[in-house]
Parts: sequence; C-alpha cells; structure tokens
Amino acid sequence: MKKLFSLLVVAALLTLAACGSGNDQTSPETSGSTGGGSAKATEITILMGKPEIAKEFEAAVADFSNETGVKVTIIPLAGANAFERMTSLYSSGNAPTIMMMASEFETFKDRLLDLSDQPWVETVQEGMTDFVAVDGGIYGQPVTVEAFGFIYNKGILDQAVGGDFDPAAVSTHDEFRSLLEQIDALDGASAIHVSPMDWSLGAHLSNPFFAAQSSDRDERHQFMQDMLDGNVTLSDNEVFNNWLTTFELMKEYNSVKNSPLSPQYDDGPLALASGKVGLWFMGNWAYPQLHEIDPEGEYGFLPVPVSNDASHFGNNEISVGVPSYWVIDASQSTTDQQEAANAFLNWLVSSESGQNHYVNNLNFIPVFDSITVQPEDSLSLSILSYMEGNNTLEWMNSYYPADGWASMGASMQKFLADNIDREGLIQEFENYWKNAKK
Amino acid sequence: MYNEKKLIDKLKVIGTFAFIPLFVFLVVMILPLLLGVVMTFTTWTGFSGSLLEFRGFENYLIAFSDTGFWDSMKITFKYVVLTLVLTNVIAFGLALLVTSGMKGQNFFRMGFFTPNLIGGIILGFIWQFIFTRVVVHFGEASGLTIFSYSWLADPDKAFWTLVIVGVWQSSGYMMLIYIAGLMGINKSLLEAADLDGANAWQQMIKIKVPLMIPAFTISLFLTLQRSFLVYDTNLSLTSGGPFRSTELIAMHVYNDAFLYQNFGSGQAKAFILFIIVAAIAVTQVKIMKKMEVES
Repeated sequence: MKKLFSLLVVAALLTLAACGSGNDQTSPETSGSTGGGSAKATEITILMGKPEIAKEFEAAVADFSNETGVKVTIIPLAGANAFERMTSLYSSGNAPTIMMMASEFETFKDRLLDLSDQPWVETVQEGMTDFVAVDGGIYGQPVTVEAFGFIYNKGILDQAVGGDFDPAAVSTHDEFRSLLEQIDALDGASAIHVSPMDWSLGAHLSNPFFAAQSSDRDERHQFMQDMLDGNVTLSDNEVFNNWLTTFELMKEYNSVKNSPLSPQYDDGPLALASGKVGLWFMGNWAYPQLHEIDPEGEYGFLPVPVSNDASHFGNNEISVGVPSYWVIDASQSTTDQQEAANAFLNWLVSSESGQNHYVNNLNFIPVFDSITVQPEDSLSLSILSYMEGNNTLEWMNSYYPADGWASMGASMQKFLADNIDREGLIQEFENYWKNAKK
Repeated sequence: MYNEKKLIDKLKVIGTFAFIPLFVFLVVMILPLLLGVVMTFTTWTGFSGSLLEFRGFENYLIAFSDTGFWDSMKITFKYVVLTLVLTNVIAFGLALLVTSGMKGQNFFRMGFFTPNLIGGIILGFIWQFIFTRVVVHFGEASGLTIFSYSWLADPDKAFWTLVIVGVWQSSGYMMLIYIAGLMGINKSLLEAADLDGANAWQQMIKIKVPLMIPAFTISLFLTLQRSFLVYDTNLSLTSGGPFRSTELIAMHVYNDAFLYQNFGSGQAKAFILFIIVAAIAVTQVKIMKKMEVES
C-alpha cells in the first residue's frame, strides 16, 4: 500500500512538472494570438464601480458603440472590493481597458497610460487632477465631483426660521445651535438625523477636521504627516476641539438620540424627505432617493461649522472632491484599445450626446468647462454655487491610511453611543494615527 | 482489491482511477496551501510582479501583536462555544421530537430543515430586517424596553443576534444527522430494554446516546468548523458593527488582507487560524472515536 502511494505521488508530481513547463512554452503563443486579434473591430472593457447608475451608464456606452463601432463590455464591480478585483484581473492578464479608480491608484499607477496630451485635459477645472498627477503626467480623468455636508430640507427650515432660509446665515457654532433649536421647536420635526455608518462618520464627518486645519494645501498635508508621526496633541488642537464640539451638538440634537447606532442608511433619506428632520449629514449621492420619496422637495448644503468665528476657514465651505478617476491600462491593452478608450473618455465630456448622458442621465456634476449642459436639481445647484465661490474643502480622506475611516469611524460610533467620552475619543484618535501604517 | 503483478499494470490502474482526483486535490488544495504559507514570509501583496522580499517572521509578529486580532479571536471562541452547545442540544431535541411518532412529524422535519436551504447572505439580511424593524415595532407596541431598540446597535446584543441566527440556521441540518443516527439503532435492543423494565431516560442514556456517538462526532465537527469560519451571516447581519465589536475571525482576516491591504499579516492570521481550527477539530474527532461502542 505504501509503495502504491509513493508511486502515485511521484506520478502526480511528474505530470505536474510536465504541465508547468508546457504552460511556459505555450504562453508566448497565446499572448501573440491576442495581439493578432486586435486586427478585428476594437473591443474594450470598462470596470465600473458605481452600481447606483449602472443602467444609465450602460445606455451611455450603447450610444458610444453605435456612433463609433467600438465594442464595449462593462465589468460591474458588483459589490466586490475594487482593489481585489483589479489585482485578480491584472494577474490573470485580463486587465480592463478603462477602470474607475480611487485609492487604488497609488498601487497601479506604473501600469497606466499618461493622458496629459488628451483634449479634455485643457478643459478640466483647476485642482481636479492633483490626485492623479505624477511627474508632470496626468494619469486619470475625474469622473465627477461629489460633495457632502449637512443636507437641509428647505421646506422645513423655512418654517423653522419663519421666512426664506439662507445657508450663508449659519456659519458659527452659536448660529448652528440656534438653528437646531429652532427646528426642534417645530411640531413633529426633529433637528438632525445622524447616520451612524462608519464610512459616513469616519471618512466624511472627520474630513472637515483635517481639511479645515489650514487653507494652505501643504500645511494641512503637513498636519496629517504630523499626526502620523505622533507629533500632534489633539487636546491642544483648536480645530479639532471645535470640530468635536460640532459633533457633540449633532449628538445632542440627534433625532434618534435614544439609540444612535440603530438607524440604517435608508432611514436618512426617509427622515429628511418626509420632513421628520431638518438636517441630515450626507452627500449628494443620496439625491436620487430623496427625489424618489418627495419629488417636490428642495434641498441644499450647509457647511459643518468648525469654530465660532464666521470668517474661519471651513465655516463657509463644504467638502467637494473627486471620488474616483477614469484610468486607462497601458500594460496589457493594445494600442488600438488605448486609442478607443481615449476616444470614449473624450466623447463622454465633449460630444453632445456624451454630455447629455453625463449631466442628465448619469447625474454627474460637470468638472469640465467644455460641458455646456447644466444640472437642474436643487442639490447639484447648491454644490455648483459653493464651487463657483471657491468655497470648497479638500477631500483629505483620500489620503487616509487604508483602515483610517474604519478605525476613526469605530471610535466616533463609540462616542455617539456614549461608550466613550471626549477624552476617550481623543485617546483613540491619537493612538490610531500613531500606530497607523505609514 | 487489485492484484496486478507487473509495475506497468499497477501504473495503469493508478492512471485510470487515482490520478485525476489526486491531481485535482494537489492543484486546488495542497499547492495553494503551500503557496499561502510561503506568502506569509514575504512582502507579496497578491499582485503578480509585486516585490517578493523575504521577511522571516515579521508578518507573524505583526499578527500576534495586533490587539484587534485577539479581540476577534476571543469573541469567535465565545461564539463557537455557544453555537456548538445550543445547536447540538436543540438539534438533538428536535430529532427526538420528530422521531417520537407525533402527528405530522414529516412536516416538522421539513420545516426545521428549511433555514438551511436559504443562503447565509439572504438569511442575514432577513434577520437584520427582523431585528431592526419587526422586533422594534413589537417592542414599541408592547412597551417592553428590551425590544424597543435595535439589537444590532448594542455590542452584546448584536453578538447574541449572531448566535441566534447561527443556531437557527444549523440546528435543522444537525437534526437530520441525529435522525439518521436514531434510525440506525437496532430496534431489538430497545425492545429488550423495555422488557427489562428500563424507562425512557435510562434507554436514552445507556443505549441511544452511546450508540449514536458517530452522529455526535459528525455533528460536533460540522458545527465546530461552520462556527469558526462563519462569514456570510456575520457580513450581512452586523458587518462587524457596532464599532467592530462583532467582527468574527474570518471577517477580521478578510478585512485585514483585502480592505486594509495588509496581505502579509492577513495571510499569517489566516494560517494561525487554520492551525488552531485543525488542531481542535482533529482532537475532537480523535476523542470521539475512542468513545464509540458496538452494540
């Protein structure tokens, strides 16, 4: 029996070795044949990460295919982790031609195509490509901008202040508190709904604390570096303390104060659009749901106050940023495919039908001067007005370590649920940043 | 079995029957395991062509010094012990119930088994709805404070929701194994015991349980392995929350490797977990084998 077994193992190993070398021999052939295949009509693939607009994006791609004859296949991310999906696609030699990329850019940048000679680069708004600029080259096209802050229901706030509500009138702690009190005094409405998801707290609500440290880009990035180096005592940091006071205000006037961690994401749009609360901390991606619940509703953004001084940087700004970029693979795609991919990205932002899809169907907010179609919904208009006045905060959360939002979010959830106090939160934040992966 | 004398004949038999399954086993089980272990000593990031630098035991040191890992391990052990005991007690009870000759017992068998046919993810979402909406409505209507807030918002209660759903899901399946065990007992033994005047409890302790040891071995092994590696219900029910307090070990390993991109330490943690689960499972089966008796 033992003999038999050892024989088996030897036989198996031998064949395995044979298979291995066989693979080596065939690999150049197969890669050669894919190269030859490009003589046919060009086919490109797009890895697409926004499931909420999948249908609309398919329609846009179908129009592009009809106009140019390029065959496009969409690879949906379908809830998978983007980094994992890209890694496996690359490792199997099936890298998508176009990818929607965010924090993964750092790892993949060596394999991407330099897009700086493309026509759309001329028309992109300032600062929007900072994240994907490496050594003078631009490696990604911004997909759109998104913004977050306090979304307010104008109907409720008009009632609360007894007149036409103006978001510019609320920019300090005191003004914010009196607004919350005014809403609370209304019959059947609470002041604010706080969604307790860790990404909402840890990645979004924490952003003003970093972004409002300084109006100078280098200084606030230096601040984050100092946090990593463990050189910051948060209890002495003015912006942090003031920011925490705002968080305390949110906690105090929370509509679900009795069980702050119970609400699900869907409770937010329901509470705001049905007029149960006046404010909700969230971003403009929630607009389709708000619109569905109350198509008549009017909404806008209110900045997160970070001090009691109205002129302080951050008190009149909302966080606006590019959540992801279109990038083109250069290492596994043929030249034809790369050209077709570039044609698609240019088509989307400069052709008439592309722009129509961009603004009206995909609900994107234009970051290109070439786009003449303007969005019409109240929330997008609110963002545009902040952008025009240059009243925007950088998305510092794009630069957090990979587990930054999850860890800070967990601490903030504990704070929200009275599990830890102010000192506890400061302690956990400092500990996290000191030990974070550099 | 086979009596081939010549080597070439032996090889023929092996090639015909054993080679393909053995080859598949090697390629999809053994090789990935070995590669996985090799990975834990390097800086590989799961990305072909990424830097393959030898780092010795660094990843293990990171894994061992991570308090989050041990917190997850602790809560997983608690989860395993609770589900193991509850699932098997309930499953055995159900098995006795539906073999007792009661009316409609086949219908009940089917009913208890049904939760197994629903995938873990769907099941988690259904229970999430029950815990955050149905139970809360019930609590508000009846005035019972324990039910009036979502259980998923409190670390301890969220843990118990995991236990409840886990037990609910697997006890029907284990029940089937126990039913098979009960059916396999020779009726003449029980009849003889009846004649000798043994009551139901004595029959259970002295005859049924000892003869059913193989069924217990399988059920305990399956619950042990299932509870240790549960991920789907954990993800859809609590996703580790609130504040990462219900992150069971499988989820912790996945998050570490793929969400926070620490492939090295994540893989090392996975290997540590493998060793622990394998050791416990092997010991359990060995002990149970010794307890088996023949009728």
